Amino acid sequence: MKKFYTLMAVVLLASMFLSACGGAAPAANGTPTAPDCTKATVFCVGDVTDVGHVDDKSFNQSTWEGVQQAKANGTADWIQFIETSDSKDYAKNIDTFAQAGYKVIVTTGFNLTDPTYAAAKQYPNILFIGVDQGLQKDANHPDWPLPNLVALIFHEDQSGFLVGALASMMSKSHNIGGVFGTDAVPAVWRYGEGYRAGAAYEDKKNGTKTTITNVYHNDVGFNLTFTDPTWGATTAQSMIDKGTDVIFGGGGITGNGAVDKTASDKVLAIGVDTDQYYTLPEADAYLLTSAMKPIPAPLGVLIGLAKAGKFPTNGQYYGASGFAPYHDVASQVPANVDAEMQSLLKALTGGTLQTGVPDAKPQ
Amino acid sequence: MQRPDEQGFFKNLQRWLEPLLVPVLAILTAVILGGIIVKVVNGDPIAAYRGLIQGAFGSPRALSETAVWATPYIFAGLAVAFAFKGGLFNIGAEGQIALGAVFAALIGYALPGWLHTSLPAYIHIPLAVGMGMLAGAIWGGIPGALKAYTGGHEVINTIMMNYIALNLTSFLLNGPMRDPDPTDLSARTPEIAPSARIPPLFNIPGMRVHWGFVLALVVAVIIWWLLWKTTLGFEIRTVGANPDAAKYAGINVKRTIIITMAISGALAGLAGAIEVTALNYRHELGFSTGYGFDAIAIALLGKTNPYGVILAALLFGAMRNGATRMQFLTQIPTDIISVIQALILLFVAADAIIRFIYRIRAHEERVVLTRGWGG
Repeated sequence: MKKFYTLMAVVLLASMFLSACGGAAPAANGTPTAPDCTKATVFCVGDVTDVGHVDDKSFNQSTWEGVQQAKANGTADWIQFIETSDSKDYAKNIDTFAQAGYKVIVTTGFNLTDPTYAAAKQYPNILFIGVDQGLQKDANHPDWPLPNLVALIFHEDQSGFLVGALASMMSKSHNIGGVFGTDAVPAVWRYGEGYRAGAAYEDKKNGTKTTITNVYHNDVGFNLTFTDPTWGATTAQSMIDKGTDVIFGGGGITGNGAVDKTASDKVLAIGVDTDQYYTLPEADAYLLTSAMKPIPAPLGVLIGLAKAGKFPTNGQYYGASGFAPYHDVASQVPANVDAEMQSLLKALTGGTLQTGVPDAKPQ
Repeated sequence: MQRPDEQGFFKNLQRWLEPLLVPVLAILTAVILGGIIVKVVNGDPIAAYRGLIQGAFGSPRALSETAVWATPYIFAGLAVAFAFKGGLFNIGAEGQIALGAVFAALIGYALPGWLHTSLPAYIHIPLAVGMGMLAGAIWGGIPGALKAYTGGHEVINTIMMNYIALNLTSFLLNGPMRDPDPTDLSARTPEIAPSARIPPLFNIPGMRVHWGFVLALVVAVIIWWLLWKTTLGFEIRTVGANPDAAKYAGINVKRTIIITMAISGALAGLAGAIEVTALNYRHELGFSTGYGFDAIAIALLGKTNPYGVILAALLFGAMRNGATRMQFLTQIPTDIISVIQALILLFVAADAIIRFIYRIRAHEERVVLTRGWGG
């Protein structure tokens, strides 16, 4: 019995001790304390991720890198991220920054399109950057473009063009392929058509004749089209059986399946969106490059424009396209091929070369 | 010398506090261990917990969000706890929640079109929520019937039913129930009609707490009443304690098992239906995932008592909600919350650890939550 009371006393004391700590303790140790972001002179930038983490080696990570650049070059006085753990928290997480007086709020990925649009309407004095959130004026977004919301988007056809050109130059069998999610998503279709256009461009230049096979996973619903690595792998397999020696895997996990399969068959693979050398380490030895949407640089520029009061008012901002380094395959890429790639990159991003791919698949 | 009535008071107090002892110590131990982990990764545990408490209780709005998080946890926790009382392990809450959400959404957006008329809210809301409950009840009742008539173990069958439910949901949201708006790239239903929406408690922007939370509290009381004040509740508890004895006492064991699972499923379906009608106004792949599994932890932490479930659900809701603020202030990953929750579950499930650390003797016979394979 005595033991019981002693124990209750210990519990009570412990809880009192804990709550006392909870109430009063100042922020200790090395982490710098946040400045008062509500002051007009303090330029704070917040980053709300999609469900996941800032070190996901994908969009969440590259977005946070862009925000960190803004801090490094002195644009932002204070930066902070919130990792979303459940999709019902998107609005709440954006709101946490808005309430704390942040001047710019960056949100990552397509899933945050609607919450970001709603927040931009609610907080007209805060600037919002939606990474990879293609918006247009429609029934759900009647007031687009908003003066305080800019979508950071990319010309996927340019990235596709670059890797297509590289594939055409690197293929020994002159037989290349692409395995994609559904072409009902314009971004995916632009990757695929850009790939085709890039290969054709190099063919014409070098007098080669490359066979291009693009396969879209149109036969299933939206939930499967991007998440079907088995289909991606078998499709890649059948291409390899027919002599294809470079395969571009575009479209989420479906494409990843193709990239993995291609690499394990010792055929060159091309990744998509981010540098997949880091997201698909199993494929590293045969990963030629990735068609990239390099987020950090244009995001840094946008945050700079926001601070300078020159935030774009047309609702969108295009980032320059790119392709990932060759990494482990670098020794196989001849110097003249790399030189051609660099000049193509310059021409495409500089506007002197057009891919000729329309925005969306003609109906 | 103690006066007899004083002694009686302490005895009563002790009797009331005793069931709380192990869960409270489990939470405390998990929180301390969580703090040590934060410290090990060079965080400041005190700042982290301060952020957590602020985020969960620090403002009216934080309280509102905690209630929003706790609502599906209460329903789903009650679902699992209710089945426990009948000696059944409902692992299928996840699937029942999903179907409850899908069917509530279906009635919510499609019914006015089918009837070619708009409905008043007092008819539309109960229909949508009721349909969600019915879907959950059927989904829970099937494994119950399988158990009653074939002896198929409900753990296996509810897990299987989860797969069927989640793939069915995925099919429906991508196919027949998909929002026809071409600009909508996610797999989700159209928004439900305004007449099917459960209103928020307060008409203040940003305060999302809704009448579903009140309903959750009321349902917990009803479940307590059902279990302890009705014949059915007595039958359910008797079958849970000893099905053979129940049979000899003249209780229809098969019928009771099916009813237990159906009510459990209905409660889980209610969790999904309320998320749709009161919060999201549509169902989407990725909404409300994992609640069915958290619910098992909540039911255990709440000692399968309806009021215990409310407390456990509020705790879990507070932790999930406060995690955002914690990360905002300290940049400590929200995953620490999952670690703490897992530790709590570990200590509650294996309470011998807690009893050993704090030298508590087990007074009563251990509660048998469920019987073994084929038992």
